[in-house]
Amino acid sequence: MQSAGTDDLLQFRDYNSTPSTSSPPAQINVNSPTHSGGSGSGNNALNELIYDMSNSAGILSGSNAAGDGGNINTSATTAGSGADGGGAGAGNKVSFLTFEYYQQFFNVDTSVVLERIVNAVVPMRASKNYLRFDIGENPDLYGPFWITVTLIFSIAIGGNIASYLQHADDNYQWRYNFHLVSYAATSIFIYANFVPILFWALFKYTLKPVTDEEPVESANYTPSLLSLMCLYGYSLFVYIPFSVLWLIQISIVQWVFVIISFCLSGLSMMHVLTPATRNSKISQLLIFGILLSQSLLAVCFMFYFFHMPNSPVSTATESAAIEEVIKTAKLVVTPPVVAGNIAPANGTR
Amino acid sequence: MDTKLDMFDDNISASSQLEGDMSIPGARKNTTQIGAPDFNTLDEPIKETFLRDVRAVGVKFYHVLYPKEKSSLLRDWDLWGPLVLCTFLATVLQGSSGEVNDGGPEFAQVFVIVWIGAAIVTLNSKLLGGNISFFQSVCVLGYCLTPVAIALIVCRVILLSTQTKLTFFLRLLTTMLGFIWATYASFIFLGESQPPNRKPLAVYPIFLFFFVISWLVISHN
Repeated sequence: MQSAGTDDLLQFRDYNSTPSTSSPPAQINVNSPTHSGGSGSGNNALNELIYDMSNSAGILSGSNAAGDGGNINTSATTAGSGADGGGAGAGNKVSFLTFEYYQQFFNVDTSVVLERIVNAVVPMRASKNYLRFDIGENPDLYGPFWITVTLIFSIAIGGNIASYLQHADDNYQWRYNFHLVSYAATSIFIYANFVPILFWALFKYTLKPVTDEEPVESANYTPSLLSLMCLYGYSLFVYIPFSVLWLIQISIVQWVFVIISFCLSGLSMMHVLTPATRNSKISQLLIFGILLSQSLLAVCFMFYFFHMPNSPVSTATESAAIEEVIKTAKLVVTPPVVAGNIAPANGTR
Repeated sequence: MDTKLDMFDDNISASSQLEGDMSIPGARKNTTQIGAPDFNTLDEPIKETFLRDVRAVGVKFYHVLYPKEKSSLLRDWDLWGPLVLCTFLATVLQGSSGEVNDGGPEFAQVFVIVWIGAAIVTLNSKLLGGNISFFQSVCVLGYCLTPVAIALIVCRVILLSTQTKLTFFLRLLTTMLGFIWATYASFIFLGESQPPNRKPLAVYPIFLFFFVISWLVISHN
């Protein structure tokens, strides 16, 4: 340490830059509207919200403007809802027993969330490096968690409305079935959690060995578990509007919607994941697996929650055949736990 | 005045009793701490103690229904109101297990949805960087269930008559009104504590929470 002289005290000192280059640089957002004082009525807060939402909707291609973590209330030691991330953090070495550890998974602004949602729905919109440099640097758990929760409730509510519409003509006393929420929750959470784990393992353990012919910098890149979960969570968003559209009780229309939703989500996911599958030995199989899991999800949603049996005979054979296909495919792609969960649920129908 | 040691003297009669005042000097200030009563609560009748808390809860209900002043809910939070409302909702909404015609939620399911839902919404706003304590937020969310509970009462009354499309439409209207009122009230209370760039991210779960509970209300028959 230098001796303290007046020259020393007057000099500016250089602070070491943080060693972690992966965390986004700290920014002060000068565009945010200033808060009014405590006397502010609800109108001011409402105007701020409207301003904020229109602002973020206008900046859809906004940069990764992550504000700082905000006021941290360290008295709360409960684990946040982002706890199922587990694996790779964003570079800050904070203990997973503190609240700040889970705050790093929620480090997104409104514009970032909207941008990710649109990238998941519109197929070729994302850039080539989206997975590695956008989601990979700042994977968030806000989007996946709330999109899955919204999807669970919209599927359950839609399923109830669908069964009400199906029995509208009879004099059947319509029974509200609250158990659809439980079934929807189980299947969607399993899909959103186990399928990314499966693909993460497949990516990781089928990595092509690096040859010396073309040393590409990204040859050893496999997506992290958190990035995959983030990606899968956002890709589920496309089913939310379709859960409303599937209420139309015309069979052809429902199948058309299945195909449209599968195309949208499958294509966008394939576009984002293809750069990563190139590093793998079984790249073709991976792409096929991705598309297959998306299509199975769409078909299962439509069939279990929304489909109207046209006539007993035709649908019995049709649905039995589909069940067989689904069962065998599920045993290949997903853990047998899923088949065990779906099968008894179908039996109570 | 000469001092004498007069300890345990048998001459001391019962008339010279020891008395004093156990008050801390300066305790009777005009500005007291929040929540600490500035009078001795040990001596008052129990009815007084009880009514004080009831009055505090009642004031909060009033402020939820007419959200003008927000400091009472935030500063002096309590969880009595949410508990009463949640129990009431769960009791009315539960489907009876005996009947064939009712697949409604169980009592425990409604309870879980309300409390765990409020906790998750609060955690979400804290994880996003919000500036509010855990119990204040749970308190606000619980008290804002008041319009939903009122809507449930009105729906129940409507259900007493024969069911037509018009009555269904009336129930739908009442429930929607309760839902919008609840969301607006909670936004007034919680709006300023959210970080500026993330307000919609924090408000959406509140919207979803009240939407689910309103859905439970409207589908109850």
